Amino acid sequence: MRELAIAIGMIHIAAAIALLNGLLTTFGQARVASQAIESIARQPEAADSIRSAMFIGLALSETSGIYGLLIAIIMLFANPLVDILVNLLG
Amino acid sequence: MLNIKNLWVLNIAGVEVWITETIFNTWLIMLFLIIFAVIARIKLHNFKTVPTGFQNFIEAVVEAFDGFASNALGEKLSYIAPWFFMVFALILSCSLFSIFGVRAPTADFATTFALAFATFILMFFMGFKHRRGSYLKSFFEPHPVFFPLNLIGELSKPVSLSFRLFGNMLSGTIILTLYYGLTPLFVQIGIPALLHAFFDVLFGALQTYIFVIISLMYIKGAAD
Repeated sequence: MRELAIAIGMIHIAAAIALLNGLLTTFGQARVASQAIESIARQPEAADSIRSAMFIGLALSETSGIYGLLIAIIMLFANPLVDILVNLLG
Repeated sequence: MLNIKNLWVLNIAGVEVWITETIFNTWLIMLFLIIFAVIARIKLHNFKTVPTGFQNFIEAVVEAFDGFASNALGEKLSYIAPWFFMVFALILSCSLFSIFGVRAPTADFATTFALAFATFILMFFMGFKHRRGSYLKSFFEPHPVFFPLNLIGELSKPVSLSFRLFGNMLSGTIILTLYYGLTPLFVQIGIPALLHAFFDVLFGALQTYIFVIISLMYIKGAAD
């Protein structure tokens, strides 16, 4: 029982660490948005094409954040190692 | 709402077929879209040159999407725009469906992976159809040593495409589930509307647009 409690606690810490990549993802997205705003301010007539390029850039840089979220969710709700541990402990 | 509920188990020739919440909700959305399409098809007989009302709406939507697709794909490839109009309508109505407090079908990895895999097959098909040999050759580009790397790059496209949509929709579902589960009853009136507007309508529309435009970019990259 104690081993299982330690394992579950560790899983929660690991999920929190996996979500820390949101920091870097946010920096990347902020950079995309600020550069897009700068170029719109410089060339207001190209605002539409810059905006669509900005959305694509935001979506592509969001991918790593989504991967971190999915890793955290898999570790919390669908972790195969917990089943193995439960089988081992009997 | 974190787990996908299983509604019925059918037994077809000894094989268990699970009808989950996702499948049932997808059927509802399909029914809605098909009825809408049939109504539009019947009304097509008495469409006039100068559009009014319902006809105006239909023509505006179709023309806007055609312009968007031919802008992203170029005139030569824009004949596949109807398929992506279908994908657009399906994903948008899936994410708008979760306003009613049910689980969106796009918050299930099976749905998003099916859509992304269709894009993947379409990408290969369009590449072979328009470039034939030179599409195969593009896998061996700068040097044949790079073939495994190019192959992994191609195979990761449907995975990233499906995970992006799935992760966004699932995060909205989880946040709304936590809100409904953790708060007392008297703050569950009115305030969730804001959360639904943000996570379902805004994120849903944005992710639909992104899914379609990135699919179009992949196809243009393969076929041009």
